Amino acid sequence: MGLPLFSVQEDPGPSFVSYLDAKGASMTLPTGVDSPHATTVVAVRAAGGVVLVGDRQATGAYIASRDVRKIEAADRFTAIAISGSAAMGMEFIRMAQLSFEHYEKMTGSSLSLEGKANYLSPLIQRNNLTTPFLVLPLLAGYDVNRKRGRVFEYDGAGGCYERGDFVVIGSGTPFAESALRLGFRDDMSIEDAVELAALAVYEAGDNDPATGGPDFVRNIFPMIVTVTDEGFSELSAEATATTFRTIHERRTATGGRPGGALR
Amino acid sequence: MSMPFYVSPEQLTKDRAEFAQKGIARGRSMVATTYDNGVLLVAENPSASLNKISEIYDRIAFAGVGKYNEFDRLREAGIRWADGTGYTYSREDVDARALANYYAQYLGAMFAEGPKPLEIEILVAQLGNELRPTKLYHLAYEGTITDEERFAVLGGDADTIKQRFADTDTGASDLRGALHHAVAALSGPDRSIPATDLEVAVLEDRGSRRTFVRLTDEVVGELLNN
Repeated sequence: MGLPLFSVQEDPGPSFVSYLDAKGASMTLPTGVDSPHATTVVAVRAAGGVVLVGDRQATGAYIASRDVRKIEAADRFTAIAISGSAAMGMEFIRMAQLSFEHYEKMTGSSLSLEGKANYLSPLIQRNNLTTPFLVLPLLAGYDVNRKRGRVFEYDGAGGCYERGDFVVIGSGTPFAESALRLGFRDDMSIEDAVELAALAVYEAGDNDPATGGPDFVRNIFPMIVTVTDEGFSELSAEATATTFRTIHERRTATGGRPGGALR
Repeated sequence: MSMPFYVSPEQLTKDRAEFAQKGIARGRSMVATTYDNGVLLVAENPSASLNKISEIYDRIAFAGVGKYNEFDRLREAGIRWADGTGYTYSREDVDARALANYYAQYLGAMFAEGPKPLEIEILVAQLGNELRPTKLYHLAYEGTITDEERFAVLGGDADTIKQRFADTDTGASDLRGALHHAVAALSGPDRSIPATDLEVAVLEDRGSRRTFVRLTDEVVGELLNN
């Protein structure tokens, strides 16, 4: 690959995807291949930021992997999470990370959070309408211009919708969403939101075979992320383990019954 | 039918070189130097938004002097090349030397065959690690490439500034010392450049993947006044 220079009329601008298109390097995919799927992630708005919790399992015909990371930092103030085809999802995360940084370097300023959310729409649309590897990401982050946490969800055709409360993606959605619907309050503290989001993913892991719950044998737990004005931060392994152990012990004490309350 | 006049290659090259040098001499100069923790880039630039120095990749910075539109186009091409290479292979495969070579080829081709030579000089700086050395690749308007270990000066006034820098050089110091040294060489004994007319950036390991950091006027002013 030589120096990628374009004429003024054909210049692809600061979009990395447009650049790949211009040099004819974007991917075409074979069809009809069975591939592992990644599932449940929740993103919850809280006071001063957002909280994300995602399980770690990738499922094909069997469990394909137990320690997948479905939530990644797209940049310092933005988290991206994926469900659906694991292969396409990972590619999606890479493309988002690269595109946001590419834009920043080309123009000298960062994209707005809404700009990042909108940027993903045509990528989802193109992927989902032309390949069988459906992917459904979510985008959540701290909006440095508006000084608050924001969460965005997508539909399969690439439609981008901002939600005021929370977003859930993946096969465990019904169970995780039920827990969130009951437990969500406006302007929850980050700590409360972490507890609620962890419980939601625990519920999904308890009921959905494609969602991995806490794995006490291998010490693998769903990952917990916060994004605040201090940026993207992943909860430590110990704190994550403690969060899920607490829920687990409560459930063990009641013989597996939630006990009619959010606990 | 009219025939073009014969012009000897010597004359043609000389004319083109003079043209490029004149264009470059119209702008202000810049200095890049290593210091104990990284690479410092200092340009005299009264504009706060039209940058001469920018980030190419995790450990690579770009600087240009001369015609803004010409070097900015090469800056964009460099970012595309670096992001494209890192995406195709791996981030650790992005090497400033390869990019400097592409720039050299392009500048050389434009000098010899283009409608006019580019009136720019550019610098590709790489912060070393266990894989690669710290290097300052200096590219002249005609495609000549030199790699410097310690410092590089770009611009019309380069020879004088280079001499001033070398005469007082005591080896790698801390950031403050390097900045004082670079600014003194840029300004000369008879004038001083205010912090607002300086564009300063560093490549420095601070525990994150990206090492490029722009220093604000306040930080620069504070470093220079103490």
